[in-house]
Amino acid sequence: MKNSFCRSPVLSVIATAILLLYANPAFAGVIKIGLMAPITGAFASEGQDMQKIVALMVEEINKAGGINGDSIELLVEDDGSTPRSAATAASRLVSKGVPAVIGTYGSAVTEASQDIYDEAGAVQIATGSTAIRLTAKGLKRFFRTCPRDDEQGRVAVTTLSKLEFKHVAILHDNSAYAKGLAEEAKKLIEEGKSASIVFYDALQPGELDYSAILTKIKGVKPDAIFFTGYYPEAGLLLRQMATMKWSVPMLGGDATNNYDLVKIAGQAAAKGYRFISPPMPTDIDSPAAKAFLAAYRAKYNSLPSSIWSVIAGDAFTVLVSAIKAKGTNPSAIAEYMHQGMPAVDGLTGKISFDDKGDRKGDLYRLYEINGKGEFILQKN
Amino acid sequence: MEEFLQQLTNGLAVGGIYALLALGYTMVYGILRLINFAHGDLFTLGAYLGFTLLASLGLSGLASGLLAAGVLILLSMGLVAVAGFLLERVAYRPLRKSDRLSAVVSAMGASIFFQNALMLVYGAKSQVYPDGILPEASLILLGTEVPLTRFLMFAASLALMCLLYWFVNRTRVGAAIRAVAIDQDAARLMGIDVNRIISLVFLIGPALGGAAGVMIGLYYGQITHDMGFTFGLKAFIAAILGGIGNIPGAMLGGMLLGIIEALGAAYISIAWKDAIAFCVLILILIFRPTGLLGERVADKV
Repeated sequence: MKNSFCRSPVLSVIATAILLLYANPAFAGVIKIGLMAPITGAFASEGQDMQKIVALMVEEINKAGGINGDSIELLVEDDGSTPRSAATAASRLVSKGVPAVIGTYGSAVTEASQDIYDEAGAVQIATGSTAIRLTAKGLKRFFRTCPRDDEQGRVAVTTLSKLEFKHVAILHDNSAYAKGLAEEAKKLIEEGKSASIVFYDALQPGELDYSAILTKIKGVKPDAIFFTGYYPEAGLLLRQMATMKWSVPMLGGDATNNYDLVKIAGQAAAKGYRFISPPMPTDIDSPAAKAFLAAYRAKYNSLPSSIWSVIAGDAFTVLVSAIKAKGTNPSAIAEYMHQGMPAVDGLTGKISFDDKGDRKGDLYRLYEINGKGEFILQKN
Repeated sequence: MEEFLQQLTNGLAVGGIYALLALGYTMVYGILRLINFAHGDLFTLGAYLGFTLLASLGLSGLASGLLAAGVLILLSMGLVAVAGFLLERVAYRPLRKSDRLSAVVSAMGASIFFQNALMLVYGAKSQVYPDGILPEASLILLGTEVPLTRFLMFAASLALMCLLYWFVNRTRVGAAIRAVAIDQDAARLMGIDVNRIISLVFLIGPALGGAAGVMIGLYYGQITHDMGFTFGLKAFIAAILGGIGNIPGAMLGGMLLGIIEALGAAYISIAWKDAIAFCVLILILIFRPTGLLGERVADKV
């Protein structure tokens, strides 16, 4: 009886119609926004957090009446943390006719999707892709809410010389991002002659044992290690340095800004580790950041574990203000974002773009991990 | 000299893990002529099961950290053995009579399945074993300081390998395993239950892999759902280096690979570490196509 009832085509049509009515009570328009994020693959934890944050912000905007009365529909595609699947993800979003896309994290992954969005005329706002070349291509509708590697390299070298480290070991992980940053830092140190580089090499991410590398670095007696790779390896390096009973100051890049680092290294080994990074939302004294953190905690009962997913939230904030002002025409949105848009109050501070699509302003800060595993913003 | 010895112990510690894993590859290959690509993921499964057991059973409350670690390793070995047994039943046995390529594809499918299942259950983030289970003491060996845990990890791998070697070479069941590896049909005619022997191999290999997984978790702390790929690949290479299908070969290959990697990183270049290890592999295969201790060239395809 129950089965035949459900199978009745007329009933299901009526049911669908009722559902649709409830979904769009005011018959308002729907604005599609794409999110391309690494939901699976090596950066899956970043991507899943990006999705959580943007979905939360979409929900809040829709609850508050949407943009000019239109509700937002978020279309998420998985870039699989690889350039190859990013191209597929981009084509799928484009075929669904999104005017603007947020994403993605890895620079090489973003690069594989840039032309696809550009040819389709969509706006793209990258969120974790810091490689310099991405904005050097003259793409009119490409933006990023994260800073660039050369800026990070500059801040890192300034920090190293401020801390008076004379013999520096530079370690990267051969990824495009980490290698770029390491090369930038090396170049600046050699130009400035502020220190000597006693070691420069790369580790292989995903291998858990770095004691061979650490033994080798220990042999050249550096004052400090500058590690430009990601947090899992940074955590393991700190932990294995502690096992070796070797303590040398370690400075990291912004990809180590993740609380998992403390869990991996252990609180004792993580103490004193310094890294440079855009500020955490907890360190920004703006109403937008405070409200966002409260909402995130209420919904997911935790804090965002990395800054990069928060920067995806920044991209969404920018898009909302641009669409509010200019509608959904991608070219109009892009033009507005390049010029005319007043600085938007984002989760990581004020956001505005230069004519290349890079975020304006000095975003990097120095952090140090204290004995309780907390990230403490250092005063300049 | 001190740095050399230090690097040697670094290499041996990693090599012990490679060797434990390589045994799983080599045993399955020896019996079924199948590369069990899911073996690396069974290792990951072991690491995650150990993590869950540790969190849920409150083993860290046991009086001695070493005792807790031992119990944990044994429990995880048992559970991963069951997973290996089921894997063979579901993914390999139905394909036993079909093309060898189908079984390889099935193995890759199983690998993808395990990896994604672990990601769905535990999330994509890396998980971290609780701190302070293992003692932090160190030993002085040959004038270099070696963390006690590192030494114990190596000793445990070695003990498991010796146990396996004894089992395969000195017991009746071991003789049956060797018989099945040489000729399944003849073994069947001699009254050996081939299916049971194959199931047994799929209990032993994954159990060793599971033990390696828990040891990795306990020592390095961090486990990720995709770590089986890197370690599986290295162990597979170790198995080939030593001569796939050959049990002492897998042990030798694993240790050797660990040492080559550590010394290559120390004296040539860290970034070229893997390239050096692979060059050595190629050289060995050019001069000894069956691996260091490999034999029976004729019946290897």
